[in-house]
Amino acid sequence: MKKAINIINELKKKNLIEDYAIGGGIAALFYIEPFLTYDLDIFITLPPKEKEKKLIVLSPIFDYLKKKGCSWKGEHIIVEGIPVQFIPADELEEEAMNNAKTILYEGVETKVVTPEYLIAILFRAGRKKDLEKVEKLLTQAEIDEKKLNDILNSYNLKEQFNF
Amino acid sequence: MLNKETNQKKIIINKGKIITREELFERKEQFHKDQAKLPFEEKIKILVNMQKIVIGIKGESEKTMIWKIY
Repeated sequence: MKKAINIINELKKKNLIEDYAIGGGIAALFYIEPFLTYDLDIFITLPPKEKEKKLIVLSPIFDYLKKKGCSWKGEHIIVEGIPVQFIPADELEEEAMNNAKTILYEGVETKVVTPEYLIAILFRAGRKKDLEKVEKLLTQAEIDEKKLNDILNSYNLKEQFNF
Repeated sequence: MLNKETNQKKIIINKGKIITREELFERKEQFHKDQAKLPFEEKIKILVNMQKIVIGIKGESEKTMIWKIY
């Protein structure tokens, strides 16, 4: 995991991505009790020159990772033994990324989406497993309710939010 | 929803200690909260152990694998 984070940090240093944050199940795992999951979701934004393009091109990232010995398994790229999915961030995810919490994993710096944004992202996804994580985040993590309400209101999710 | 009488029913746990059903579920809830406070690195180790257990039962497939964390 530490090695995988180091390689993802390299992508930022090499300007292949503008920024990133851990999202999805592993971000939830940071705040709630352990549960089974298999992939590491990484929200990314691309450098400004790439952002201007109409098509999202991730091939420079994958070319770099291939040179580092990473291989594909299904829709994931295996980075140092961890199946990683790079997700180009939409508006909500980019805001989540920009407000993500900086943490140290075995001494390596990385960013994790905060529980408030995670709840909004999971709630919007709306699958049963996402809503189960929302429930756990609400009961096991420390939530800033004002912040959560602001996010839900900004993305028109508040009315449907029935927790 | 269980009634108050059921929730106050006493249960003998280890070493003859007696608690109510209500207390049992409160403790269970607290256990989950304590697990949520474990260090991230510790949770990743637990996750890898879960992945090992699943592969031990179901075998490796396209969707299941054991993370290499060292």
